[in-house]
Amino acid sequence: MSWLLLSPMLIPFLGASVAFLAWNRPRFGQVVGVVSAVLLLITSVALLLDVHANGIRVVQAANWEAPFGISFVADHLSAIMVVLTAIIGLATIVYSLFDINRERTYYGYYPLLLTLLFGVNGAFLTGDLFNLYVWFEVLLLASFVLMSLGGTRPQLDGTLKYVFINLLASALLLVAIGLTYGMTGTLNMADLAVKLPLVENSGLVTAVATMFLIAFGIKAGIFPLFAWLPASYHTPPVAVSAIFAGLLTKVGVYTLIRAFTLLFTQDVGYTHQLLLWAAGLTMLTGVLGAAAQFEIRRILSWHIISQIGYMIMGLALYTPLALVGAVFYITHHIIVKANLFFVGGIIKRLTGSFELEETGGLYKASPLLAVLFLIPAFSLAGFPPLSGFWPKYILFRAGLEVESYLIVAVALITGILTTFSMTKIWAQAFWKGTPEGAARPVRGSRFRELRALYLPVMFLAGITIVIGVYAQPFLELAQASAAELLDSRAYVESVLGEGAYDPVLALTGSELGVAP
Amino acid sequence: MNSLILRVVGRLLVPLMLLFSVFLLLRGHNEPGGGFVGGLMAVGAFGLYSLTYGVATARKALFVDPRTLVGLGLLLAVISGFGAAFIDAPYLTGVWFVWDLAPDFTLHVGTPTVFDVGVYLVVIGGVLMALFSVEDD
Amino acid sequence: MSYAIALSFLVAALAPTIVRFAGRASPWILAILPASIFAWFLSLTGRVREEGSIVQQITWVPGLDANLTFHLDGLSLLFALLVSGIGILIVLYGGGYLKGHPQLGRFYLFLLFFMGSMLGVVLASNVISLFVFWELTSFSSYGLIGFIHEKERSRAAALQALLVTSLGGLVMLVGLILLGSMGGSFELTQLTLQDSLSEHPFYVGALLLILAGAFTKSAQFPFHFWLPGAMEAPTPVSAYLHSATMVKAGVYLMARLNPALGDTTLWLYLVGGIGLVTMVVGAYLALAHTDLKKLLAYSTVMALGQLTMLIGLGTELAIQAMVVFLLVHALYKAALFMAAGSIDHETGTRDVRELGGLAGVMPLTFAASLVAALSMAGLPPLFGFVGKEIVYDATLSLDSGAALFTTFAVLANIAVVAVAGIVALRPFLGARRQTPKAPHEAPFTMWIGPALLGVGSVVFGLLPALVGPTFMVGAASAVLGEPQSFELALWHGFNLPLLLSAITVASGVILYLAWPRLRTGFGNFDRLFGEVPRLGYEWTLDALARVAAWQTRTIQNGSLRWYLFVIVAFFVALTGATLLFRGGIALPDTTGSVHIFEVIVAIICAGGALVVVLARSRVAALASLGITGYALALLFVMFSAPDLALTQLFIETLSVILLTLVVIYLPPLRRSEATPGRTRPVVRDAVVSALAGGLVTLLVWGVIANPLDMTIPEFYGENSYTQAHGRNIVNVILVDFRAIDTMGEILVLALAGIGVFTLMRLRANRARAPRVFAYRLAPEEERGLVPAERTDIAGPLPDDDEWEQDERGPNS
Repeated sequence: MSWLLLSPMLIPFLGASVAFLAWNRPRFGQVVGVVSAVLLLITSVALLLDVHANGIRVVQAANWEAPFGISFVADHLSAIMVVLTAIIGLATIVYSLFDINRERTYYGYYPLLLTLLFGVNGAFLTGDLFNLYVWFEVLLLASFVLMSLGGTRPQLDGTLKYVFINLLASALLLVAIGLTYGMTGTLNMADLAVKLPLVENSGLVTAVATMFLIAFGIKAGIFPLFAWLPASYHTPPVAVSAIFAGLLTKVGVYTLIRAFTLLFTQDVGYTHQLLLWAAGLTMLTGVLGAAAQFEIRRILSWHIISQIGYMIMGLALYTPLALVGAVFYITHHIIVKANLFFVGGIIKRLTGSFELEETGGLYKASPLLAVLFLIPAFSLAGFPPLSGFWPKYILFRAGLEVESYLIVAVALITGILTTFSMTKIWAQAFWKGTPEGAARPVRGSRFRELRALYLPVMFLAGITIVIGVYAQPFLELAQASAAELLDSRAYVESVLGEGAYDPVLALTGSELGVAP
Repeated sequence: MNSLILRVVGRLLVPLMLLFSVFLLLRGHNEPGGGFVGGLMAVGAFGLYSLTYGVATARKALFVDPRTLVGLGLLLAVISGFGAAFIDAPYLTGVWFVWDLAPDFTLHVGTPTVFDVGVYLVVIGGVLMALFSVEDD
Repeated sequence: MSYAIALSFLVAALAPTIVRFAGRASPWILAILPASIFAWFLSLTGRVREEGSIVQQITWVPGLDANLTFHLDGLSLLFALLVSGIGILIVLYGGGYLKGHPQLGRFYLFLLFFMGSMLGVVLASNVISLFVFWELTSFSSYGLIGFIHEKERSRAAALQALLVTSLGGLVMLVGLILLGSMGGSFELTQLTLQDSLSEHPFYVGALLLILAGAFTKSAQFPFHFWLPGAMEAPTPVSAYLHSATMVKAGVYLMARLNPALGDTTLWLYLVGGIGLVTMVVGAYLALAHTDLKKLLAYSTVMALGQLTMLIGLGTELAIQAMVVFLLVHALYKAALFMAAGSIDHETGTRDVRELGGLAGVMPLTFAASLVAALSMAGLPPLFGFVGKEIVYDATLSLDSGAALFTTFAVLANIAVVAVAGIVALRPFLGARRQTPKAPHEAPFTMWIGPALLGVGSVVFGLLPALVGPTFMVGAASAVLGEPQSFELALWHGFNLPLLLSAITVASGVILYLAWPRLRTGFGNFDRLFGEVPRLGYEWTLDALARVAAWQTRTIQNGSLRWYLFVIVAFFVALTGATLLFRGGIALPDTTGSVHIFEVIVAIICAGGALVVVLARSRVAALASLGITGYALALLFVMFSAPDLALTQLFIETLSVILLTLVVIYLPPLRRSEATPGRTRPVVRDAVVSALAGGLVTLLVWGVIANPLDMTIPEFYGENSYTQAHGRNIVNVILVDFRAIDTMGEILVLALAGIGVFTLMRLRANRARAPRVFAYRLAPEEERGLVPAERTDIAGPLPDDDEWEQDERGPNS
């Protein structure tokens, strides 16, 4: 069993090592990339099914019992995230096969992608705070190399900002982890869930919690910490942007969710209120930022931020339904956002530009692409019955349930402005005629060359439709996740053993306001 | 940097450093040392060599490309963890072989040792890759 | 019922293929779909009448109370028949109107997709699925308004309609959720049975939110502006979506919710009042225009207002009037739109001032539109007359406000009579005018629709019993929530409504005759009630763009220095305030036992860091960085961690060497990177940095105020040799206890090496062959509102040709 849980990490790591070893044979790198991605998808789906059937799965790496070694834990949320990673990983690698040139391949593009997947999965599966930090470092370095690979000046400029700000986040995170260890003497998250509520100086715990909020918040791209994202995401090749857009910020969101459901729940009234403000402002600034852009990748990048706001809203409201909304939103968003970047890449290949002004004529030239854009775009805007509708509806409902009308209003305005942005791309790139002087959209044989790029796009669009039309199973998974998140007992006991959570239960009765 | 002193010192020092780095690696499990420090020592050796005789010569002296070393090291590290499969334990669980070679000397060799060798190789490969390419420029 | 909807979607998806293969026959083939749906619903009439309603349930997402529940009662049946019946005619008409158009397939795709969605709206009983279909109609309307998509006006109009209706839709969703939680059910069939909803504390909120959706969809004042804009769509679309069906979705929803939410003062004033205003404003706005479709669009606004007003009044008579007028309007307005489209199609213009004397060349179209116009004007023996009589009857018999409502209804209908004359008489009578195209009679597919609808107006007028007991009574019963029985008649004898009708027609004729002279006067009215709301919409969008640009300039100004400042300042503010106000400050009592060496090392450490910041050359900065690092190593030695000290020493030495190598190749440090005239905010940054450092110190003090839990270190100490075969605990932790961490870290190291390697190598390659990459980025210059990202630190970025070119951009 332990092998299944760790395989989402081991497969890409093995693949990356082998591909690095055979660095002078780029073709081999491509093959390894595809094979690893397929295996990753199979094993991660198997893991999710296993978790769904048998409950939370735990592995104590190197066989040291928790909290002395490093625990890896797969609950519903982790398993879902791992599956999503595998889906996006596969789509990106397939897209890259037809879009990434030989030079980048030669410099290790595919193994780098695999290390990124390794890091992402590590972050989703680890049950150890310092280990999480290590995965963040892996992610940072892998994304740094992927982003700078190619080295055009704007790319380096974006990379520089990306790296500096993320290093600052890492530093904050490391300090926060150190402080947490100092307070509790442990790094195991299950153990922390038991020990943090028992720390006498609860004000200090809350202060350290805000540090985690900032460090993870930078990674997630929440207001006002998101500057690195719009500064960098539009610079690398579109396949790289797509996987970043789909996965990286969601690692931040995932860790925020983990931290503020498992670890820091002793002052929910304060910390989650902060999160709620952050959520609202993130939505608004993100969507307004998008409204000011006229370049496809920039528009999409800003929308990542506004969508992060919805997920944080779900966490901040901290009710079962709200967390269902957050998890559902992540699921939907990862698929849709990566896909929009892919479509953006095809638009660029067909018209020669990412600038809306210079694009046009695609509705005539490529009806297929038009459909493939409309699906993720209107899903992002929350149109039913596509995947984006359900989480929005859940979050509205969750907000109304606890009478947080302001955040619902903000979510609503953000929704309509998202429609505005998506129709902006649609009207310019698709409906508008080809602008004078611009290259005519590619047709004929060159067009057929690009067909392969449509494969991953269709794959992801299909998933979007399935989630939208056949939402019940996805809802059930999200519900299972939310239930686990709100009741840490199962998590703690499956890591530390029966009865480990009792000290907190004893406390909960008296002073802690841990939700149901 | 074509200095006579450096060349003489280099010729003497580099083999010594390499030897010491292996020593550091092997004793690491019980005394200060280990793959990380050992690797850094080896990097120092090749770095000195490259400063003295040029990068091209240093590359030749290394036999393999630093990238190969990185791949090899990573692979070694990750594979060492699979030893646990043979004793039906979770990934990375140490599998040890213990020989009593002398009354006061017991040799412990286990998968963590292999892991450490992997670390050693990655450190050498990774840092040298950077060092050489910067020097190349 | 679900099959009817699913089949519509399926055929919609296949429509482009069908058009490609069937060619000219495709309108006829596609018309089979609405025809069979129409026939099927017609066949259910008897069952609905006997059983009251037919229900079908499909489980969808039960966890979110979203199920595909369909419910066919009198009201739904009336709408379903309208949607499918007019659908037949429109499919045929569209085939003629857009004959040979290369995107005819896509037209049918959107049109049939719309039909399926609209059927969903009127059949759905579950409010969530109702919302789903509701949004789908907005979406298909977007696609259809923007059908002539290379015209900027079409795109703008499509966007306007989409934004207004989907904003309303989202607001309505919130209202529907509230309604669901009030009533404890998301099924309309359940909700309409409850009569205590109006006492619920959420009532006002839910009502306002739901009405926002209904009002935007049904183009009620002040949201009416999108409907005339939507006339950019091809005429079949205007006839179908924007007069006969989609715009009535809001009316449908209000009617549907009348039993649940109606019968309160708020409902009366809000729905009745807004309806009244819309009715009058729409009627007179029409008179300011000369474009046939604009005239018809505003008169549609009037009709929607009248329907809304009648629902707001809510009396039995008013509801009867509502359902009758609904049918009346659908019959004549779709016909008139189609006729207007034919005129446009044949002559090339829609401006009534340029049209005249077409009766001779287009006799069939003329006949059809004459009948429709007479019905619109409410003349006997047409069905419109029946409708108008009953409307007046309803307003006259109100308990309160009868005079008010009746007066305004008459006033609005006077304008309607005039409009009917303008659109149906002026283009056909009088002298022939020169038009852009030489007109002929419209083809069969294009006159059959108006003709059949005209026949309907005549037949139902003469024999109202054909529709009265079956459809009208059923629909009214559904709206009122209780069984009704009434009869429709053409002739009620000489009474007050008849008198009012006569006055209406007479005044309308006078207004029609005087219209050419009065038209400019209505222009002022148009500027106030037509333009102002539209300008409000545009102003909102402009303001949004300005705010967005300002915000983005401010928070995303391209300066890394600013970004880092924001983050550190946020940390200081948030964590600092939390520590202060949540009471986390604690001081360790061990301050006295600090060793002198520790102090010295700390000072060296801090001093080194300070010099790094102040250094004027890179090498000096690097050296100081090295000092800090070595001091740290010393610290490790003091706390007996030789392994760490050793590693730290190596790393520090290597990184200083490596960085020095890099630095040698860089240009000297530039100090004046900031924009001229702006000093660099040194003080600000220094203060924030110092505060951040102080805050971390405070946090650490707080932590060490309590002793560390030593369970884990002790475990390592005890088990390192016995279990893990090693005496060096640090190494055992690295390769065994926490080996996975090490796996990650060596990967980090490898990646760092690869990163440096690729950066250096790719750059070197490009210097030789600058056009290696096929994916060169578009120029980064400012485009529109927001400055491009720029960096303001002198980073290790050598100049190269490509960038120079990019920076100059196309403006040079």
